[in-house]
Amino acid sequence: MNKPMTITPPHSGHDGRWTLTLDGAELPPASLIGGKAWSVARMLSLGLPVPPAFVITTEACRAYLASGAMPAGLEDQIRDGIRDLEARTGHAFGGPGVPLLVSVRSGAPISMPGMMDTILNLGISDETEAHLAQATGDAGFARDTHRRFYDLYASIVCKAVGAEFDADAGSADWDAVLQAATGQTMPETVEERLFAAVRAVFESWNARRARRYRQHHGIPDDLGTAVTIQAMVFGNLDANSGTGVLFSRNPLTGAREPYGEYLPRAQGEDVVSGKFTPEPLSRMAEHEPQAHADLLRAAEVLERENGDVQDIEFTVQHGKLYLLQTRAAKRAPDAAVQIAADMVADGTITPQKALSRVSAAQVRSLLAPRLTRAPGPETEVLAQGEGASPGVGRGIAVTDADEAEQRAAQGEEVVLVRAITSPEDVHGMIVARAVVTETGGSTSHAAVVGRALGLPSVVGCGAGVVDALKGREITVEGSMGKVFAGLLDVSTPDERSDPRLAQLTEWARAASPLRVLRPDEVPAGSDVQDLSHVEGGEDPQQIGRVLQGVRAAQGGAIGSDEGVRAAMDQGLEFIVCTPVLPALLAAVHYAAEQAGQMTDTQPAVD
Amino acid sequence: MQQMHLALHGLAIKKHGSPAEVAAIVGLDEGTAATLLDQAAANGRAARAGEAKFMLTAPAQMALRMEYGRLYADLRANDAMNAAYDRFEKVNADLKQLITDWQTIEVAGSRVPNDHSDKAYDARIIDRLGALHEAAEQVIGQMAAHLPRLSVYGDLLTEALEKAEDGAHEWVSDAKLPSYHTVWFEMHEDLLRILGRERDE
Repeated sequence: MNKPMTITPPHSGHDGRWTLTLDGAELPPASLIGGKAWSVARMLSLGLPVPPAFVITTEACRAYLASGAMPAGLEDQIRDGIRDLEARTGHAFGGPGVPLLVSVRSGAPISMPGMMDTILNLGISDETEAHLAQATGDAGFARDTHRRFYDLYASIVCKAVGAEFDADAGSADWDAVLQAATGQTMPETVEERLFAAVRAVFESWNARRARRYRQHHGIPDDLGTAVTIQAMVFGNLDANSGTGVLFSRNPLTGAREPYGEYLPRAQGEDVVSGKFTPEPLSRMAEHEPQAHADLLRAAEVLERENGDVQDIEFTVQHGKLYLLQTRAAKRAPDAAVQIAADMVADGTITPQKALSRVSAAQVRSLLAPRLTRAPGPETEVLAQGEGASPGVGRGIAVTDADEAEQRAAQGEEVVLVRAITSPEDVHGMIVARAVVTETGGSTSHAAVVGRALGLPSVVGCGAGVVDALKGREITVEGSMGKVFAGLLDVSTPDERSDPRLAQLTEWARAASPLRVLRPDEVPAGSDVQDLSHVEGGEDPQQIGRVLQGVRAAQGGAIGSDEGVRAAMDQGLEFIVCTPVLPALLAAVHYAAEQAGQMTDTQPAVD
Repeated sequence: MQQMHLALHGLAIKKHGSPAEVAAIVGLDEGTAATLLDQAAANGRAARAGEAKFMLTAPAQMALRMEYGRLYADLRANDAMNAAYDRFEKVNADLKQLITDWQTIEVAGSRVPNDHSDKAYDARIIDRLGALHEAAEQVIGQMAAHLPRLSVYGDLLTEALEKAEDGAHEWVSDAKLPSYHTVWFEMHEDLLRILGRERDE
């Protein structure tokens, strides 16, 4: 979330209170309750529904690490916290009836690698599995919930490697597997398991990777981690339950309309697994109107508060909505541009922030040449491989770089088709409209140089393709990885004709430390080095060396991310390329990176 | 444990090693290892191989094999040690997969050499190695409870891992360095020899 979190350790005088109920009434500092509980508390303070939770503070962690034992009173307070969750959910920890199951998460004030991952389903046992099976009418689900707990407990608390818990077996078998894999045993009661999980979170503060991360980033070793204990909700409990995902705007087009999927009577994993076909949100509106209305309101609040489009995971239990996780939504290139423009227009974000949310690669893909019409079934596909560099290029298939150069010089459009490409082929690639190879993947020479040159590239089409294509007129589609017969109609979008891109270009020019000019903007008499004629000028690895002592440059890989970075490192006055927006964005992002600003990412809140 | 046996055992693992390299894995000091290997060379158990390097002679290989059964009889009969070794085998399977993922990447359904141009891909694997190392440390600790000298491998692995984490990626699997994979392979060889087990492949 956007509000800065303070990371100074809280006051040292301690009143014996090691846990806090999260109810939205107050927002304790992240230094005391950790980032995750802080986010839960903040959602609650915004009036949003999240599953009930309480938190064990970083003070308890520090006391534990200092003495090597649970501080006096902590275990009782955890029991009280569980009792409170039981009261708020109406379910009992350890049964009977639908059992209270909880998740246990580490929560350092700053997230860092090596800290303990989340344990889910804690509270399941032979007894509660039977209750859960009865309540959901789904014995398979109850068994899997149980198995998943063993799996997480073994790998996270016991650091088991390779322990496999057979879905058809039961806890007696799983106990034996755990014993064999780790020499440890599963504590008998659910309460002992909870305490063991809490201790494992505390101890993960001193895990090697966490210590090293703190050392490298100057984070004090005595902050400690909090532990968040949260009730789990079930989307498969009855006909009035379900689970889904909501985007606060359409992540494909950027349109300002909620977009999502809902799966009635299911758990979150079911949506992700692809085993079931979710239904559109309109179905949820019919069946669960209250939860649906609450969801749309929550999406609005979260988008406004976080200043970005949200991707929200939610569950409905007995008709009541619970938000499980929200994060900034991943989006398609078109949506990235649309959302950035819309959010500046409605005053949600600044132009500077809008620039940070659109990548050079996204704009390149929007501006790549494309087929005017989607090819129909009558269009013959001559070859298929991996699309390594997007865009469409067409011409006569030529199998030799020298020939490509000669024919291009005479005005022919050529596509270079090679078994593989090497640095000796680059002069042919520079003049080609596309490149096709028989072998190699997305990191092969053809792919790397193809991307640097903005050249549509299809790699790894298989043996025999060179002979099959030689001399033919072909069209190469670098996103799908297809080579079509004939010269298909191609159109190239112009960055100046899209008002959103024109606006972004204006902002980017104001913000960029590097001038990026179109060929017709170059001042007369300027000394501009053309990298197309310089050895290594197309190679992202070499371009830094090539640009030494140069004042201005064009051609080769100058418009790629690497070219822009090298131009800035070498202090060039300007570069010349088209389109200009991807290079400008690369320059703006590189400058921000050097200034130590992270790109705009909102941490996942779960 | 007899020092000469340790020196020759270390040389057997190294195949072709200097006193310093042998000393590092079997817990001798370098000067002692040098003296012992010189002695071994003098009485035909080791041969000099290049500058300051040694190899075991064929008769010494055979003698060493016979010694293992006698010197490690107790360890071989120890259930806890064998159970810990079985756990090591599981981590070993994970490490083999991880090294494969490090050296090759999947492209369009087939594996091609990783040219390490994808920094995010490499970073994910080094992060996985950090997680695997936690399991490795645990199982090495369990085995070192029965044979303390084995803990040196945990230290060497941590050293290699931290170099890789700091950006020197050759410390993941470069065979010419005491990289993570090199040390792992040597530890595995050590364990196979003393426990009298066979490699499964």
